[in-house]
Amino acid sequence: MTALSPLVGRLMQALRCLPGVGPRSAQRMAFHLLEKDRKGAQLLVDVLSEALEKVQRCTQCRTLSETPACPICSNSRRDRSLLCIVETPADIQAIEQTADYNGLYFVLMGRLSPLDGIGPREIGLDALTHRLRTESVREVILATNPTLEGEATAHYISELMHQAGIRVTRLAHGIPMGGELEFVDSSTLSHALNGRREM
Amino acid sequence: MTTSERRVQLQAGYVLHHRPYRNTSLILDVFTRDRGRISLVARGARTAKSRWYSLCQPFRPLLLSWSGRADLATLTDLDSTARAWPLTGKLLFSAYYLNELLMRLLQPLDPHPELFQHYVHALDRLVGLPNTGQRPEVVSFGLQSCLRMFEKYLLQEIGYGLILDHDVHSGAPIAAEGRYQYVLEIGPVPGDNDNRDAISMSGSSLLGLARDDLSAPQCLQESKKLMRAALARYLGDKPLYTRALLRQLDYKS
Ligand SMILES: [Zn+2]
Repeated sequence: MTALSPLVGRLMQALRCLPGVGPRSAQRMAFHLLEKDRKGAQLLVDVLSEALEKVQRCTQCRTLSETPACPICSNSRRDRSLLCIVETPADIQAIEQTADYNGLYFVLMGRLSPLDGIGPREIGLDALTHRLRTESVREVILATNPTLEGEATAHYISELMHQAGIRVTRLAHGIPMGGELEFVDSSTLSHALNGRREM
Repeated sequence: MTTSERRVQLQAGYVLHHRPYRNTSLILDVFTRDRGRISLVARGARTAKSRWYSLCQPFRPLLLSWSGRADLATLTDLDSTARAWPLTGKLLFSAYYLNELLMRLLQPLDPHPELFQHYVHALDRLVGLPNTGQRPEVVSFGLQSCLRMFEKYLLQEIGYGLILDHDVHSGAPIAAEGRYQYVLEIGPVPGDNDNRDAISMSGSSLLGLARDDLSAPQCLQESKKLMRAALARYLGDKPLYTRALLRQLDYKS
């Protein structure tokens, strides 16, 4: 086996910063970019460096944005009295795809993780409290994940909201559409039972 | 170590904490009944298809099998024996507090089967609390007394048990109406003057704590001071994160 050119080796090493990319996929990607798609590689370089330079956090909701306020926060047609709290920018994308929500967002960029020392400050709750003091929000919707840490985070924020006298709601956890009861795990099923509705 | 010892089958345990490992795996810190605290790699547990991920959560009774190196073995099988304890809100933070104590104070690979039973019992009590009474002060009392009792058993199990039934100077039994100074790592001595390194306790509080009855408000209060001071000795300088969170939740623990 011949040794790789040092630059190719460095490229492979650099690609491994991506999630889910091990040595073998890094090698495949590097060869693909250098052998088969040099145009695509150039585009990747240009866009990546421009994004790195321009994309920061939105000053209002903390999601990634190339303008000080992201398109959602600066859209005057959105309902500013509704605030949905999510863990990651990807969660905003998911909720936006439903087209059912017209309020604003706040991104925690994580969740409370009591044993790892990730506390209220680390997930931006200072900024959230500040925002609620300066804007008139009628309802806060907690859309943290249905995990234990998501539950802990939701509880902590709901206590803050109660102190501030703001209405808090939480996304219902339930049975996936197209799912069959016998294949739903028991904790999802018991959440769904607890959250049942009048018809 | 023989090969058979390096394979452990169907051990009862709870995940105390998990953290990501490499791209798709988790490292679990587990409290098992017969092997004590142990770290296990759960290979591929973070992939979407993994059945393990939802099982690898704290407060879920598990049966675990593993093999390999004692300090970081590999999980080979995982099953849940019952659904997770349905902990929510402040009770969930309190349960995390128990886990943080175990993570900080238990030496790896030291078996503590009795403490394991106390842990299960404490989770059971926490889950039952909302049903013990509608008034928040009833729940708050139950919560605090549950945490204090667990702390007491934990200290006992790791070899720093408190002396609660006799005065260490004379050997005389604790008198309910007496006043004592609890000198850490030594025990209670009669007296009322405030010694900087001792915790002032009433005889009845010592006796109450000894028989797991913290129903007197004074007993609960003094036990809290005693436990906090005793734990601080073994926890070192790093603060307990969950205690800070509980305090911020305005929930005096
Ligand atoms: Zn924004």
